Amino acid sequence: MDHMIFEIGTALLLVAIAALLANKFNFSIIPFLIILGMIVGPHAPQIGILDFRFIESAEFISLLGRIGVLFLLFYLGLEFSVGKLIRSGKSIVTGGSIYLLINFTGGLLYGYFAGFPLLEVLVIAGVITISSSAIVAKVLVDLRRTGNTETELILGIIMFEDIFLAVYLSVISGLILGGGTTLASSLLSILIALGYMLTFFIIARKATPLLNKMLKITSDEVFIIVVFAALFFVAGFSETIHVAEAIGALLLGLVFSETDQGERIEHLVVPFRDFFGAIFFFSFGLSIDPTTLLDAVWLALGAVVLTIIGNFVAGMIAGRKSGLSHKASANIGLTIVSRGEFSIIVANLGIAGGLMDILSPFSALYVLTLAILGPILTKESKHIFFLLNRIFKWVPAPRPKTK
Amino acid sequence: MEMREVDLPGIGRKFEAITRRGDKVVLIVHDDGRREMHHYDDDDFDESISSVTFSDEEARQMAGILGGLVYKPKDLERIELALGDLVIEWVKIEADSLAANETISSLDIRNRYDISIIALLKVDKTKVLNPGPDTLIEKGDTIVFSGERQHVRAAGKALFLTEGGG
Repeated sequence: MDHMIFEIGTALLLVAIAALLANKFNFSIIPFLIILGMIVGPHAPQIGILDFRFIESAEFISLLGRIGVLFLLFYLGLEFSVGKLIRSGKSIVTGGSIYLLINFTGGLLYGYFAGFPLLEVLVIAGVITISSSAIVAKVLVDLRRTGNTETELILGIIMFEDIFLAVYLSVISGLILGGGTTLASSLLSILIALGYMLTFFIIARKATPLLNKMLKITSDEVFIIVVFAALFFVAGFSETIHVAEAIGALLLGLVFSETDQGERIEHLVVPFRDFFGAIFFFSFGLSIDPTTLLDAVWLALGAVVLTIIGNFVAGMIAGRKSGLSHKASANIGLTIVSRGEFSIIVANLGIAGGLMDILSPFSALYVLTLAILGPILTKESKHIFFLLNRIFKWVPAPRPKTK
Repeated sequence: MEMREVDLPGIGRKFEAITRRGDKVVLIVHDDGRREMHHYDDDDFDESISSVTFSDEEARQMAGILGGLVYKPKDLERIELALGDLVIEWVKIEADSLAANETISSLDIRNRYDISIIALLKVDKTKVLNPGPDTLIEKGDTIVFSGERQHVRAAGKALFLTEGGG
């Protein structure tokens, strides 16, 4: 117990080094931290005073990671607004629906034909469907594509996926954590989860003036204590009625986003989300035994191929439908293909609910591959488009530049 | 110039415009205060050919210059004022513009372009309000005319501007 802080310090030091490395190569920190987590752990050596097994601190690190999930989803809720979605227009709703229809169905079929039981199929489909908002936003900014026409649609689809994630997480958390064995009890769990969500929507609509009054706290010190108390209490309470704590955090974020203090909370939460989020990725890696990875190679690779094709096709259709050129439409699928934080959160829910063990190595390999491959596909989208164009002949070969 | 505004959730806000000369320009105001300016290929509006990133402070500095707050262009030769669909425009007549040394009637402006000439500011600073058909337009005069946007534009192009202008 004496060395607890030292162990955590060692872990954080490794996390910091991995983050620095990721930054140097201009990559998202997510794959780096997962790999780091997988390398160390109970099977790692102990060198001198440095204990890379993290046995004593394992529980504590995983608790910090859980807090990371709370912050990630709390922030998602804060950022999200129904008004924004309504203003965003028809092409985004159409594009988002096309994307979900193709990729979610694909995920369900994939899980089904791989021979998994229902709950596992639902988790796999969720892991496959949800893009990584963090990686996509980072790649778009890094590649200076924020100004491009298709970027609006890309971010719209991502927003659409996030809403889907919120509803989907509630439903499957009800199913998995509710532990219903009969159809009736499963339905009841889903209804409880959806009813819980609805309650929060009503609170967000009706109780905003009251919340505004309660949150009108000038002192930053008191403000942060009140907000975090609400966050942890609501998240923890959700767990008691078999709704994932992450959903509680997300819903509270939604409620707070409607108040006058929404933006202040958002700014407040960002550093916590970044810090605890990083530990979450590390802790996820730590929970994976690298020797089991081999078992899931084919399953993960198949899912990767399915995702790339499904995303590309969906992007092509969505883009063309909203009047973009073939080249811009190709960019959509090749950008939203990155997977990261949200896929892990869905997988984690299944793991926490005691579903089949193969879900962890599967989701780890799947997310790792697409967290690394995704940004590369985005970067090379122009070449990929010209290559594919030779086969599909969407547009005549590029005109030689006259200038 | 029509400005299109869109939210970019998680990134910021985007402003897009196509200038009169046909350049597509996009400005992004990032949530973290950075500004990004993109310029797109004339032949392919999907292809960004150059972009610049400004910090908040740099952007304000640039805005001052672009908006004419720091240094006002001496020769505001063309100013456009729009009242709904009606446009009033000032154009200074150059030596090589078609209208130089012509009278209003010989140019047949009202019939050919459906615009009306409101005033003529002569080189010697005298003003001719509501000039008659025999009024001579000379080099260096500033002509003030109005009409619907497309007519004003057509007339401006055909009569008053030189190769380099507009």
